[in-house]
Amino acid sequence: MTAVAQNITPPLKMPAGLSPRMEWLREYYFNGAERAWNNESTSWTTGTPWDVQFNEMTFYIVPETYMLMQTLLSSYRQSARPVALPPDFWAKSLAERRAWFIKEVMVKYLPAEILPGDLIAGGRFNIQASMCLTETEQAEFNRLTAGKNGARSAMNWFHNHGYGNAGATCGHLVPGYDRVLSIGWKGIYEELENFYRDLSDADRKGPKGAQLRAMMTAATLPRDLAGKYAKICERLSAGEKNSAHTTERKAELAQMAQNLKKVPWNPPETFWEAVQALWLTHMLVMSDENYPGPGVSFGRIDQYLLPFWEHSIASGMSREFGKEILKCFWIHANTAYDAMIRNGNQGITSGFGQLITLSGLGKRHGTLLDMTNDLTFAILEVIDEMSPILEPKPNIRMHRDSPDTLLDKMTDMVASSQGAPFLINFDERSMAGMMREAAMAEIGHLINKDNVHDYCPVGCLENTMAGNDRSGTVDCNLNLLKAVELAITGGKDLLPFVDPMTLKKEKIRQDGPSTGDAAAFQRWDAFWSAYRQQTAYIIRKCVDLYETSESVRARFLPTPYLSCLVKGCAEKARDVTRGAAEISFVTLEAVTFATTVDSLLAIKYLVFDEKRCTMRQLRQALEDNWEGHNVLQALAKNKAPKYGRDDDAADEMAKQVMDLWTEETWKHCTLSTGRRFRPGMLSWNYWAGDGYIMAASADGRKKGQFLSNAICPSNGADINGPTANANSVGKALGGKDFENGDWETYLNSLPNGASHTMTFNPAIIKDPAHREKFKAFLKGYAVNGGTCLQVNILDPDMLKDAQKHPQDYRHLLVRITGYNAYFTSVGRELQDEVIARLSHEQF
Amino acid sequence: MTPSSTAEFATIFEIMRMSTEDGPGIRTTVFFKGCSLHCAWCHNPESISPNPQLQWVGNRCIGCRTCLSVCRENALALTESGMEIDRTRCTGCGDCADACPGTALEIMGKTWDLDDLTAEVLKDQAYFETSKGGITVSGGEPALQSEFAGQFLKALRQRGIHTALDTCGCCRREALDQVLPYSALVLFDMKLMDPVLHKKFTGHDNRRILENLHYVADYMRSHVHPSEMWIRTPLIPRATATRENIGAIGQFIGAHLRNVVSRWELCAFNNLCRDKYLRLGQRWEFEKEELLTLDFVDEMADAAKSSGVDPDMVVPTGSTRLE
Repeated sequence: MTAVAQNITPPLKMPAGLSPRMEWLREYYFNGAERAWNNESTSWTTGTPWDVQFNEMTFYIVPETYMLMQTLLSSYRQSARPVALPPDFWAKSLAERRAWFIKEVMVKYLPAEILPGDLIAGGRFNIQASMCLTETEQAEFNRLTAGKNGARSAMNWFHNHGYGNAGATCGHLVPGYDRVLSIGWKGIYEELENFYRDLSDADRKGPKGAQLRAMMTAATLPRDLAGKYAKICERLSAGEKNSAHTTERKAELAQMAQNLKKVPWNPPETFWEAVQALWLTHMLVMSDENYPGPGVSFGRIDQYLLPFWEHSIASGMSREFGKEILKCFWIHANTAYDAMIRNGNQGITSGFGQLITLSGLGKRHGTLLDMTNDLTFAILEVIDEMSPILEPKPNIRMHRDSPDTLLDKMTDMVASSQGAPFLINFDERSMAGMMREAAMAEIGHLINKDNVHDYCPVGCLENTMAGNDRSGTVDCNLNLLKAVELAITGGKDLLPFVDPMTLKKEKIRQDGPSTGDAAAFQRWDAFWSAYRQQTAYIIRKCVDLYETSESVRARFLPTPYLSCLVKGCAEKARDVTRGAAEISFVTLEAVTFATTVDSLLAIKYLVFDEKRCTMRQLRQALEDNWEGHNVLQALAKNKAPKYGRDDDAADEMAKQVMDLWTEETWKHCTLSTGRRFRPGMLSWNYWAGDGYIMAASADGRKKGQFLSNAICPSNGADINGPTANANSVGKALGGKDFENGDWETYLNSLPNGASHTMTFNPAIIKDPAHREKFKAFLKGYAVNGGTCLQVNILDPDMLKDAQKHPQDYRHLLVRITGYNAYFTSVGRELQDEVIARLSHEQF
Repeated sequence: MTPSSTAEFATIFEIMRMSTEDGPGIRTTVFFKGCSLHCAWCHNPESISPNPQLQWVGNRCIGCRTCLSVCRENALALTESGMEIDRTRCTGCGDCADACPGTALEIMGKTWDLDDLTAEVLKDQAYFETSKGGITVSGGEPALQSEFAGQFLKALRQRGIHTALDTCGCCRREALDQVLPYSALVLFDMKLMDPVLHKKFTGHDNRRILENLHYVADYMRSHVHPSEMWIRTPLIPRATATRENIGAIGQFIGAHLRNVVSRWELCAFNNLCRDKYLRLGQRWEFEKEELLTLDFVDEMADAAKSSGVDPDMVVPTGSTRLE
């Protein structure tokens, strides 16, 4: 590193370059619960005594909420305001009732306002609307969810016993926003009319007719709501005094009214109209699903908005004003958090995942090219100037030939934000996964080499196609490690479940297949065979659990508005919740991958290869949570091989574990909706929480310590640095095959993609020469690594934690010219100096 | 067998991947064990002896005493102040390190064969290509294991990998002949111009080093490879970091190495290796030394820039004192 004076950036990223308008709006937003205006959920009822609003199943994948479910359900019920129903309401189908009810609430009941200076209309959208069920339907719904053997108890058992969680969750797709921009809602409505006209008389009277009528009602919702906002804008514009100070605002409001009279019913022409149409269309998806923005993602926004951007720039819109429109859009996206505004910071700091995709490969005149454009940069500037701000979350698609200008901007943002304020998706590996999906499910007509470049991630990094794909990317989260536990015991829990409230101890039962006590196994093969069977069992168990909520959602919780935006629904006259999307998978996200691989490696090493202990001794150590077995634990932690070090033998185990569970996953389909299961590795925050549920593991981890995160190596295991870590991840996904790659030479077992987080020493971005090396690392990652990378920059707090828990941070390197050492192996005094240096940004 | 004398095996004490400080781009630096100098300030004291050495990292020790039971030489004693290694008895056999569950005991220096080492470093070929990086052989002094180092560099050059030789210059000329043809870049250390001081601080005077420096420069003028040379000068308080010394090195570069040297790194003194000395049971003369101040490093850089070299090629590196 250079000792010449450096640019000392402030320790915390601050917003910059904001106009007074944006400064005010941003500050107002961050006032949170103090604001006079907010988008907190309001609750609405049909007025029947049995009515329910809150769909608990959407929270089955959020263990933190399990204790609150009944409370939330009851609170929304208690506070629900009645909506006057038309006389024929109950004579209509459920889908039609629901479509009418949502529209009525949004257009007639929910207050609508324009914030000072705002350029985009569409304020409140968080609602908890009646499920619109009849008494019989509601009773059946309640029985199937909260009843004795209902979805809730099945989910609780699964979670309590360390398997993970699953539930039919909303969001997590890219709706067909590009269609609204090209044909308007009017065009969508006309298509629905045509489909309806083409139905037979019998079909029109049946569920197909009902579904299309519901969708037609829903398709007029954005038109009517836009009309309401247009009137508000006109009124506000007229109310502005004709002073020099307000003339500009008056004109803005008048233009907004014009925009809203046109879009989103008609297709937009200007950039302003397009962003307005996009926002209104998007926010109503969240209203329709009664859930604030969980992974309702925008897709390739810098591609489909580009023609409007170019048109308006050519017609005289300044680039700065274009960015101002986008910044207003940013503020609106963040108001999704208002649903949880009373949670304080927690509500604002957790990501909802309205993901935008930037850059990436695309086809122009038949050639695959990089699609970075001026709008890509304008959006990155918006993020940079607005940051820190969370939504919409950016995911930048990178590939081997991404332009230097883009990488420079990304690196600058990493440097100034002390970590990347975006995820980086890698096209080659991701497209290989999507091509694998097409081959496995025989949907080459929907995903193929001519369109696979149009894939986009949803939520965080979950790869799907856009506008015709709902693949339930967060719905099933399975702890692969459970199969190792069951293989040791022969299909039983290692420890009995103890109810945390009653302290009642459950009796251990035979849950999985009886593969026999592993103590009798003479060879590694015998253990692996037991592990195979238990893996098949836990996957089937997860699939069965998912069915309990998926089947209930399909019966009782239609989303006709969203269905208008997903290709396949109108064509089949079937709701998206009934598996009608053209591409309709359920993703099984494997959690604890590295802990599982490392545990298998440790068992093989300790018991079979090196015979450092017997299986009985190892099992005893695990039952004792390693207490009193510290030598064996140290051997497991330090001497057994580990995934993540670019050690071919260890990574081969990772590959075998990957092949096994992914092949098993592809075998399953939901019964109620016919959606096939596909594999992925996301693992949100479960690797932390479930660490307290799962028993000690053979890799040396104690109960209560974190499990491994997504596809990342176990904490501290990646002692050979970032390139080795990345190479291991690439190999676990399948590596390369020079003859039979899924896409070119790339293989990828995970179409959904895999979350990979890496922490870098800030020295890597300290000066231009090092930034070039960082950029080169990212390009190398595109060649050797995984599908998606979160770049973190080491901070002093992490080093302080490393001082307290050196065993978890053995991989941390301190590196200065000609000298290198692991942080935890230098003396305390020098560690303190390194921390002080980091705090002062003098590396 | 002395590993240093064969073409098939070498004693390596560390392989550092994603190294960003030892030449251009992303590199894998291979540290050869054994050095011809014994610099008082050495940052890698484990590199000096050519033989494998045992070290003990206290915070990894779980106190299980497994090592005591496996040591055939009775060279170990676990006392209240930590592990005491009787280095007169320890043969560096590695049995204790193999057995140590916490990896508190480690052998610095492992034997690698040519094919394995080549395969190991090629794992990062993709990153070398995207960064215009490659492999650096460093040490210790890689030229002390020149037969192996030459074969290793040759194998990499044949695969189109960029190679760098990091040398202190104190070696036989024949050794240089074995490595130079396969090194694209030479990182040559120039520590002290005064032969007496050089001997005092490194154990050798600098006559042979300067001769070798001339030799490498002449070699470069008449060969395609090496095509580039960087000079590295450690800035050590009370030793190398004087205006006189820096000025003298610069005059030498200006007078004899024009058009050969493209970069002159001034590497600021660093104290992070203090614990390495403790672990090897050695005293270190610079134990209490603080880092240099930024002002002082700037002063040295000024001395270098005004010494008759192209000022743009002077690059100070390393950390400075927190103020």
